[in-house]
Amino acid sequence: MSEELVNVSDLNQHAYCPRRYWYLHFYDTQGRNYERIEGKTKHENQSERGNWLNELYLESERLGLKGKIDVLDLENGRTVPVERKRAESGDYYKSDEVQLAGYCMLLEDHLDEPVRQGAIYLYETDQRMHVPITEDHRETVREQIDAMQSMTVDSIPPFTDNPKKCEACSAREYCLPEETARLEPKKVRGTGWEGRI
Amino acid sequence: MKPPEGMFDESVIYVTRQGAQVQVDGGRIVVWDVDGDEGELASFPIEKLDTINVFGGVNFSTPFVARANEHGIVLNYFTQHGKYRGSFVPEKNTIAEVRRAQYDLSRDEELAIAQQMIAGKIRNARTLLSRKGVRGTDVLKDLGVRAESDTTKDDLRGTEGEAAERYFHLLDETLVDGWTFEKRTKRPPEDHINSLLSLTYVFMKNEVLSALRQYNLDPFLGVLHADRHGRPSLALDLQEEFRPIFCDAFVVRLVNRGVIDHEDFRKDNRLSDDAFKIYLEKFENYMNEELTHPHFEYTVTRRKAVRQQAILLRKAITDELEMYHSLTFTK
Repeated sequence: MSEELVNVSDLNQHAYCPRRYWYLHFYDTQGRNYERIEGKTKHENQSERGNWLNELYLESERLGLKGKIDVLDLENGRTVPVERKRAESGDYYKSDEVQLAGYCMLLEDHLDEPVRQGAIYLYETDQRMHVPITEDHRETVREQIDAMQSMTVDSIPPFTDNPKKCEACSAREYCLPEETARLEPKKVRGTGWEGRI
Repeated sequence: MKPPEGMFDESVIYVTRQGAQVQVDGGRIVVWDVDGDEGELASFPIEKLDTINVFGGVNFSTPFVARANEHGIVLNYFTQHGKYRGSFVPEKNTIAEVRRAQYDLSRDEELAIAQQMIAGKIRNARTLLSRKGVRGTDVLKDLGVRAESDTTKDDLRGTEGEAAERYFHLLDETLVDGWTFEKRTKRPPEDHINSLLSLTYVFMKNEVLSALRQYNLDPFLGVLHADRHGRPSLALDLQEEFRPIFCDAFVVRLVNRGVIDHEDFRKDNRLSDDAFKIYLEKFENYMNEELTHPHFEYTVTRRKAVRQQAILLRKAITDELEMYHSLTFTK
């Protein structure tokens, strides 16, 4: 049996925090549903225009990936995948770049030609930012896929190394990083939560 | 330290109006007076609710039940006087992995969790008594230590029974003149105090049930209470630590502040209809009252504190934490 294909949008979740992904993947919580639904509504509200192709679904056994590209744009004869994001800060995260890299890799597998850049569109600022996809990005994607495919329900990933990420995380109410640090300090050893209490 | 967000304070509603119907209107839940002509009695945003408790002759429209299922809202049915009848539980309310871990618990793991719950209960009993200036709780202290070293569930139940007997004997001293607590009686409660305690335990059991369901544990598979058909054993287990510090304290407050007095009861020791409405309102306020969390130091409502215990219980069961940490107040 072939291994389960990893969803490109989950690369983002996993890159943000493996523990968060573990909850969403194995516990299928409401936080996930909420985001999914909201994201979906936003996409549906976008109409098709000009040279754009909306919502292209691709999968690749070779890469171990599947996913839906929001928008494919033709720029000077090159195909550029565009990922649309909500970001109150007015900027995107590093993990968004990883997701975009995943789409570029899927696309080049599909087109059989190199896709060296993607773009992130931010609703808040109505800005499209081009992101060159480097070998580092690709390597990160491959590592993530590997880690995600070998994850099991019994191997709970550690808390994040950056507690700031917990502030906006919908899994926090049951992940309870700070509470765990108080109740069982050794459970947070070696994570960003160590020594924060 | 800030409390984790995402749990809503007003996530539970009570519908007591006889003849009312619960309906949906767009994104809101609307309680409608279908028998009379008052129209809309109340409305709530649907995504905020997780539990609706209805008492007696209250109806649900079919679209509402469909929506409750979709949004994971649990419906609990009570008689007009607060006796629990059953629940509607949304279909998605199961996570196989949590259930599997729960069913896989060994006897020793169950005992370890139950010990924390009972030791916590005894600790909270002492705390309530000492807050009220009652002396002579040293025996309880010893029993608390014994609870943590008991090696079988039967021994633990014995320790718990002994502690309960001592505690209820002392609880009498916390009541104002005109009220006495002789001994705990159930089915039926033989006096007004026992009636209030029983009612409050039903309400708290229900809080705990909703919390367990929200975090995908099976409330019918206990760690200490014997599993019996139709009995939510795990809810009863988790309820133990809240009994003294939340339930009993609430009853003592109602009585000592004169919110409820002897005239508010009917011949069968049940609250009169008017008094029951007051009781409901006070209970709801009490659960939404804020306190400083004894372990986490931030401010939480009692309801949120109870729900967090369901999360901590789940973590103990799924091995995210080494042990179960009961909610204990030391002063």
